[in-house]
Amino acid sequence: MYIIKEIFLKSNLIRELVIKDLKMRYSRPTLGILWAFLSPLFVVTIFYVVFSIILQVKTKEAPFFLYLMSAVFSWRFFQDSLVSSATSLIDNKNLIRESSFPHYLIPLAIVVANAINFLPSLSILIVASLISLKGLPIFILFLPVVLFIHFIIITGLSLMLSIFYVKWRDTRYILEAALTILFYLTPAFYSIYLVKGSFSKVLFNIYISNPLVGILNLYRLSTLRGFYQAIKEDIGLLNLVIIPVVFSFIIFWLGFYLYKKNKNSINDHISY
Amino acid sequence: MTTSPIKTTENYNIKMTKVIELKEISKKYQFLKTGVRNIKGNVEDFWALKDISLDVYGGEILGIIGRNGAGKTSLLNIIAGVLSATQGKANINGKVLGLFNLGVGFQDELTGRENIFLNGAIMGATRKELEEKLDSIIEFSELGNFLNMPLGTYSQGMRLRLGFSIIINLDFDILAIDEVLAVGDALFQNKCFQRLMDFKREGKTLVITNQSMDLIERLCDRVILLDHGRLLFQGSTSEGISRYRTLLNTEKFFVGPAQKHRKLVENTKKWADAQSNWGKKLGTKEIIIDKVELRNKFGWKCSKINSWQQLEIKVYFTIRNTAKEPHFGIAIFRNDGVYCYGPNTAFDGYSITELSPGKGYFILKYHKLFLAPGGYKLSIAIWDKFETLAFDYHEGYYNLTIKGKNDVGQLLNMPFKAYPRGHPKNLFTLNLGILKDKWEEKLEAEGVQLGEVKLLNQLNEEKDIFITNEPVKLIINFNKLNSDKDCYLWIGIYREDGIYCQGITQKLNKRVIFKIFFPKLPLLPGGYRISLGVWDSKVKKFKMYHHGLYPFGMVFEQEDHGTVYLEHSWFWRWK
Repeated sequence: MYIIKEIFLKSNLIRELVIKDLKMRYSRPTLGILWAFLSPLFVVTIFYVVFSIILQVKTKEAPFFLYLMSAVFSWRFFQDSLVSSATSLIDNKNLIRESSFPHYLIPLAIVVANAINFLPSLSILIVASLISLKGLPIFILFLPVVLFIHFIIITGLSLMLSIFYVKWRDTRYILEAALTILFYLTPAFYSIYLVKGSFSKVLFNIYISNPLVGILNLYRLSTLRGFYQAIKEDIGLLNLVIIPVVFSFIIFWLGFYLYKKNKNSINDHISY
Repeated sequence: MTTSPIKTTENYNIKMTKVIELKEISKKYQFLKTGVRNIKGNVEDFWALKDISLDVYGGEILGIIGRNGAGKTSLLNIIAGVLSATQGKANINGKVLGLFNLGVGFQDELTGRENIFLNGAIMGATRKELEEKLDSIIEFSELGNFLNMPLGTYSQGMRLRLGFSIIINLDFDILAIDEVLAVGDALFQNKCFQRLMDFKREGKTLVITNQSMDLIERLCDRVILLDHGRLLFQGSTSEGISRYRTLLNTEKFFVGPAQKHRKLVENTKKWADAQSNWGKKLGTKEIIIDKVELRNKFGWKCSKINSWQQLEIKVYFTIRNTAKEPHFGIAIFRNDGVYCYGPNTAFDGYSITELSPGKGYFILKYHKLFLAPGGYKLSIAIWDKFETLAFDYHEGYYNLTIKGKNDVGQLLNMPFKAYPRGHPKNLFTLNLGILKDKWEEKLEAEGVQLGEVKLLNQLNEEKDIFITNEPVKLIINFNKLNSDKDCYLWIGIYREDGIYCQGITQKLNKRVIFKIFFPKLPLLPGGYRISLGVWDSKVKKFKMYHHGLYPFGMVFEQEDHGTVYLEHSWFWRWK
């Protein structure tokens, strides 16, 4: 609990760090904040050309470009946050060595900045879904909750990774490899039915229990109309909601537990 | 060590409340041994601080002094809460601000104003507080319109000013400043000092480290002296500084820079306070120097001796606690602090395994003292294995006088032979004061034209670097020389830093070649310069001079410190 209190107390510092992060991203480019919209669109276009036009991938659950967008945007939030916060303690070693605020605020601020950066992408997705599917699902009301759960998972993982990285500089390379594997393990550009068809029942259940798959399904559920009808027979409430929620809180708690155990030694490890 | 009482009469603002209370603080760092890559790591321990106990009272300005790597920054970090102690307890009452670098987190892309908010937030201020203080920060920084420009356009000085202005306007009870004081021009510096004194008046506590003893002396009420992570001294500023200077001398003159070791002062018990009136005596007092005797060639005790005579220095000591691998060292300084020679048993390749409690003595015998007449001081030391901490060290404690007259202030009296012969050894009309500010300058005269000036080694090869104790020949050629009979050739050997080592004068008798032969040039490693001049003893002026224009260097195969090598031998005994 004291951590929530501390985060609240230090909200000014978090805000300044986030503002710094965003300003450094968008204040110098001529197109400025427009890049927050353009850059995800470019990525999605490339995926679309490759998978839909060249490879002719079709998805049953929703139109392919919406299916793709929902996955790519949320994945980018996940990946960008982890990659930049994993090295954040070392990147900001002067801050750690020269001031006494709690170290976890650095990765936390990075995740917050990335979350803010994710909002334009999310709005593109909602608008595109609204136009293309002529309406939004009722679950859109739960989108903030989904975002919050996603945020909690990312924060926990970021904190853990940043502490691991201080002690083992191999973390970064392991993370890069793990992110690639995880990306292909989530149904970003292939239909869940495809997985169901080729996996055994047990294997499919394991696959679907991946919290990241769960989160992605939650995003799709709350933004894509008709998605729930398409999957409700295959994926139960447990896999859809409970696993991501429980996982997020365990990861968050673990992250802070690790931080608490290591906070006194971070500064000793950071200089070399 | 107990805290020295604070005189409330002098510093009426000092509250008798402890704001910082350190109890036996130790800080250990672990370093990976180089080249070893292991998940568990092959780590080496290093104690940056060991058993530091310290109380700081409200409204005090405390200075932390010590050499680089003494643990000053680690201690400051612990006070500021940036580092945590490995052992011991630190109680800090109040809001601490640590200033280890100006402008922490400054971003080039952001404007000065935006950086104020960012830096302020990092230093722990709230947005509201910063908005309130914004005007005074801007005013103090004197940056005006620059505030709206990106920080990348600022000069280094402007950055520091901005950084300092932010810190100085924030709210705190304790401010820990690490070597970053005094930024900007003189005016701004003055403003900073004023501000620091204001803090003091407001009853705030400052802890400062700095290498400028001048600054420490101006600001601090009290200092602590750290060395190798140990608290060597705490007390009055002037005494602390004087002890620090002594320590610096110790290190500079007795210890080669390469001689560092990881276990440094582990398990060294300090009896620093055992002798209350140690004055300029430093050390851990495991061994105590009891008595020092100087003896001449007949073995008589004396304090005055002639140049080129034998000198024996006998040092009696008491061993209070078993000391492993000690070294003895004796250094000679001229009264004005010029370092002449400081041999020790380590340089000379001796090793003494262990001294067990008891009494003993050691003798250093100089076979010939090539020192010019004048007053000298001796420093006597008994060192630990790694020559980092003295068991006992008496700096400049013993006087030695070399009899004779030395008007020109030369340091050495090295043996040489001159051709042609028949030169006056000392020419007392020679006034070197004329050359005082003429270093590296020339004065040419009509009728005198200097030709080659050469330094030759044993094989008559021209060289500019010689080995200590190598035979060296100096040859001076004049192309043209029309001089009166009152004129003398003056050859001055100077140290690179301008210390006059030795002068040689030769009567000019319309000769054009002069040779000076040093059978064993005893100068120790370093840079030296030769000056030449023609002195007219009638008008007491130089007709011509080339001052410090002929450089040469000395090297030595063994480690030795000082200016001149003096042949010596050691002897010791204890029981």
